[in-house]
Amino acid sequence: MSILEVGTVKAVEPAVPLVAAPPPPPFDLESHEWLRTLRADGATRDAAIARLHTLLLGAARFEISRRRHTLRHLRGNELEDIAAEAAADATLSVLRRLDDFRGASRFTTWAYKFALLEAAVKLRKRAWQGREVPLEPDDWDIFSSTALGPDAASEQRELLAAVQTAVAEALTPHQRSVLVALAVNGVPIDVLAERLSTNRGALYKTLHDARRKLRAHLVERGFALADRLEAE
Amino acid sequence: MTDRSEIGQALGRLLGPAEPEVGCDVCFDELDRYVELELAGRDVDAEIPGLRAHLAGCPACREEHESLRALVSGQP
Repeated sequence: MSILEVGTVKAVEPAVPLVAAPPPPPFDLESHEWLRTLRADGATRDAAIARLHTLLLGAARFEISRRRHTLRHLRGNELEDIAAEAAADATLSVLRRLDDFRGASRFTTWAYKFALLEAAVKLRKRAWQGREVPLEPDDWDIFSSTALGPDAASEQRELLAAVQTAVAEALTPHQRSVLVALAVNGVPIDVLAERLSTNRGALYKTLHDARRKLRAHLVERGFALADRLEAE
Repeated sequence: MTDRSEIGQALGRLLGPAEPEVGCDVCFDELDRYVELELAGRDVDAEIPGLRAHLAGCPACREEHESLRALVSGQP
């Protein structure tokens, strides 16, 4: 298993203990049947691909229905087009990566994730279509002292000020742009990856390195971070 | 007006998870196994270390995890 704790990051914190992956379990009967028919010839394979496509179309529609509230400007037929496109792309991905299926889950669970990914990425890109991707901190309001309510403890104010300084001083321009776009301006990672002609994995690595630098910068200045953060 | 919780979340987005984490590619590769282990009540942190931290730090992977979990478990 590859992990992000490589190079400079490793010195900041202990790496994830590597656990030897257990041998994959034997395929369950249903998964075995999926593989057998998708690897068959002729009509058997065609029928299996049609069944796979139907399964993935259902998953893509499921994803779209979960996100419908964020897509009010899209009409039903546009959403159905996105579902159809996601299902077609996911079917191709599954067929291309059939040999990667190790039986670590049911085949359908493994296949679903391709459809959910395709649908989610298409929806994020659609939602940002035609919008400028802000790489500068145009929404630092949350960090301005006037925006802090009476409930904000003074140590949080100090930490916020230190974070702003660290963003300005400790990061490379590329790290700063990526961090600001993703973590301050809420640009979806797939949208930013497309605009910067890169991919999600590479971009997240940049974000991860930027975060490690910020943490190290703050710890060096005596901030204890554990109690100040909240998961979303 | 910004309250303490909002600031804590904003800081969380900026600083990310403190624990070691896997990247997006490993997350995608392991997501199906992770979801089935979760639904079976298994100790996912011991079996796939670093994935929970990644889900905390990556909104896109987190959304896809939530969707896969909901789909497999039959929730809306």
